[in-house]
Amino acid sequence: MEQFSFVFRNAWLIPAIPLVSFAVLGLFVSPISKRLAGVIGTVAIFISAAFAFLLAWNYFLSPAGKEHTALIAWTCEWLRYQTGLTVNIGVLVDPISVLLMSVVTTVSALVHLYSIGYMHGDEGYGRFFGYLNLFTFSMLGLVVAPNIIQMYICWELVGVSSFLLIGLYYQKPAAVAASNKAFIVTRFADLGFLIGIIILGYYGYHFFGEFAPAVASTAVKNGVTNLQPFDFLYLTNSAVLAKLASINLHFFDISLLTASMVLVFMGAAGKSAMFPLHIWLPDAMEGPTPVSALIHAATMVVAGVYLVARLFPAFAASGTALLLVAYVGAFTSIFAAIIGITQDDIKRVLAFSTLSQLGYMMLALGVATMAHPLGYSASMFHLFTHAFFKALLFLAAGAVIHAVNTNNIWEMGGLAKKLPVTHATFLVATLAISGIWPFAGFFSKDEILASALSGGHYVVFAIALTVAGITALYMFRIYFVTFWGKSRGDAAGHAHEAPAVMLLPLVMLAILSATVGFVNFSDYVSIGEPIEHHGINSKIAVSATAAALTGVFLAIFFYTGQTDRAAMMSRLLGRIYTLVKQKFYIDEFYIFVTHQILFRFISRPAAWFDRHIVDGGVNLSAWITRTTGGKLRYLQTGQVQVYSLWFVGGMLFLLLILWAGAR
Amino acid sequence: MISDAVYTLLFYAIAIITIVFALAVTMSRNLLRAAVYLMMVLLTTASLYIMLDAEFLAGIQVLIYVGGIVVLIVFAVMLTKSAEMLDRPPLRRKLSAGLASLVFAAVTICVFWTSRFPIAQNHVAVPPNNTEEIGLKLLDYGSGGYILPFEIISILLLAAIIGGIVVARKTPPPEQPFTTGGDLTGEADFDAPHTQRPRTGKHI
Amino acid sequence: MIESLSLHKPHIEHWLVLSAILFAIGLYGLLSRRNAIGILMSIELMLNSAVLNLAAFNRFVAPASVDGQIMALFVIAVAAAEAVVAMAIFVAIFRYRRIVDVNRMDLMKD
Repeated sequence: MEQFSFVFRNAWLIPAIPLVSFAVLGLFVSPISKRLAGVIGTVAIFISAAFAFLLAWNYFLSPAGKEHTALIAWTCEWLRYQTGLTVNIGVLVDPISVLLMSVVTTVSALVHLYSIGYMHGDEGYGRFFGYLNLFTFSMLGLVVAPNIIQMYICWELVGVSSFLLIGLYYQKPAAVAASNKAFIVTRFADLGFLIGIIILGYYGYHFFGEFAPAVASTAVKNGVTNLQPFDFLYLTNSAVLAKLASINLHFFDISLLTASMVLVFMGAAGKSAMFPLHIWLPDAMEGPTPVSALIHAATMVVAGVYLVARLFPAFAASGTALLLVAYVGAFTSIFAAIIGITQDDIKRVLAFSTLSQLGYMMLALGVATMAHPLGYSASMFHLFTHAFFKALLFLAAGAVIHAVNTNNIWEMGGLAKKLPVTHATFLVATLAISGIWPFAGFFSKDEILASALSGGHYVVFAIALTVAGITALYMFRIYFVTFWGKSRGDAAGHAHEAPAVMLLPLVMLAILSATVGFVNFSDYVSIGEPIEHHGINSKIAVSATAAALTGVFLAIFFYTGQTDRAAMMSRLLGRIYTLVKQKFYIDEFYIFVTHQILFRFISRPAAWFDRHIVDGGVNLSAWITRTTGGKLRYLQTGQVQVYSLWFVGGMLFLLLILWAGAR
Repeated sequence: MISDAVYTLLFYAIAIITIVFALAVTMSRNLLRAAVYLMMVLLTTASLYIMLDAEFLAGIQVLIYVGGIVVLIVFAVMLTKSAEMLDRPPLRRKLSAGLASLVFAAVTICVFWTSRFPIAQNHVAVPPNNTEEIGLKLLDYGSGGYILPFEIISILLLAAIIGGIVVARKTPPPEQPFTTGGDLTGEADFDAPHTQRPRTGKHI
Repeated sequence: MIESLSLHKPHIEHWLVLSAILFAIGLYGLLSRRNAIGILMSIELMLNSAVLNLAAFNRFVAPASVDGQIMALFVIAVAAAEAVVAMAIFVAIFRYRRIVDVNRMDLMKD
């Protein structure tokens, strides 16, 4: 371990710097100078990013990194319930945490830099940077969590920061509604996560004495000195998992492990906006665009994917849960992609695209197994590349919105010449997400498709291939509508390029989006059995490129030049088009469920019960007390002799009791 | 034999006298008379002490109670002019008090009559030098000695003397009456000259 | 007659019953008197019966010792102290209110 002497020992600084910066900004700086707040917040994240890069450099180029060893860089006891049951906080260094640390700090740093320009003159400027730092801290704390409790705490912290940032413009009713929606939906999902943690923790602790010595002896080389039942190293140990999987719940014949993993996946699905819980993410676009880029595209929403990856051995040990992950991911991916074609708000299209790509990552995790772990690497790879090009897409979209002051793509048009840098970077990102060689998305999508095919999941493979085509279609749709053709709105005619401080992150992200695909990723990040070297499978590459090009050509056909072809097509599809445009009425369904069913049949009786039974009981006791007091008042006459009469009576009573007791 | 018979006779006679005087103490309307009856009760009780072979106690009883407390009570009765106002408690109060004390007497007598006391069997042995032993015990530092309670009683008496002087000393009457009802000063305020009334008109 | 009298020499129960009766009479006075000084007299009566109790127990239970008599002395001393303070208070009250009726002393009710 001597090779990472300095950076490794001080890895805790990576999350700590944003936390300190958040505290300093919130308490001291932003009330004084907003401009300084932006500078300090950005500099802090850049320092943190530099540390993360150093760590990644040291880790991946060392033997430990090649062997995918998990190491505890720093730990301390935080909660002690009883001897042998404590919760530590610490920093776990393993391939995926190092990867995520680099991604989070990079994107966060660039978004901070961008925000200095984007948020300029905004009244929430100081607040905004404080929250961004809080978010970055929480996300890094989540990423480095060595046990599930720390992960859960940071999980909720990112939820809070997301809530705060979506509702940054809290005077705007839509932003308030969106932030509430995001918070409530993810909170609801986290309930499942929490129950899953409790089940896992309870049984993990129950069997701790049985397995801990064996696990601890292997964990020593990971730098773990006091193993705890909540540690991932313990919870993902194969012997422990086999034990948990052997317990049958006698409920639909599912094992304990499956039940807890499905509950944990519920939390992951909430945070990563998987199908039934996806409704909050499109609305979350009410927040400032840099927030959408950082939180709702690149980092926070991949927390669910990261959680599944972190607990991957547990999911793999319970095949049912993993299958659920695969199918939920696949369904979300195609479902969101279809909705994405019809949306008019540029950020909403990108939001649905994010949903779709997150589904892709989940799908890839779902098709992997410990024996054939290609999907695991593929998922992390896609997470890695997606973070860059999706952040770039959002930031570029932000630059466009900044220039034309509207989100509606039909009020833009012809921006290619007016915003050349934005246009170029947006094009790079579009090509990357569509999976065109040699951009980053091509490589990661290729790996995902290969893993689905080699795992024998043909349905999933077909869905993934279709989604690749649809992705190209909707991305090029907004690209053509936004940047080509004639200016359709007044603002679009007078658009100006964004300032350099905003363009610099765009260019850097564009470079990354174009190049990171060439990283030989599965050498660095993998799990289980070593991956048979696969390289680029020509058949898959050709079919994926064909699907993407089909999407591109459809977009060219419909959305370049005259746009009446698209209108005709939508008329032709009629009701189906409306259904998709209204996002399959999922939101309306939820409103129906909550208002018509939950409110009417649960909340109202509960309120009645509360008002009449509970409050009535309280009032009754108050009434009894008051009435009794009113009657007892007459006993207090102020006459000393009446008091002494009572005293004598009491004394006699006691005397009788004592006498009867003595006999 | 004969002395025992005289003893028994004396006991009952003195007991009846004591009870009669005690009843007179509580029922006499004139408090000065009650004080005199109280003195009689205390004197007969002193003679009972003698019958219990507690001669020193009997002497103290006469000295302190009769010579001190009763005189004090008589002074108090005269200082507060209580002898001029006859004490006529309301009937309800009398009934409830009588009931309470009857029940108390019944219960206590019941308890006494049914309890067994660890009576010393040798009926004679009352040492003749009773008083001497009391004196020795009161000033004894040893384990059976009462020097500490004795000193504390001295301090208590000193405190009582000082407290009595302080409380009874003549001080100016306080601003506020003791009760809200039935006092003279309460109504007087309404008729007080309206010097504090705010002037609304011009200064003339 | 004489023989029966000598056979019925008062025992401890008789003494205790006498003191109980005196105490009950004192209690009656305590509860029925209106004048504070009358109440004080009743209290003295009750204390006196307690002293009688102590003396009787001393005589019958432990005739060789004088502890009961010493207790009785303390009771008498305390009674004296109490009487002094009570008298002082009554005199002070009388000075302000020209009356020592306990039925009128009910300021603490409010």
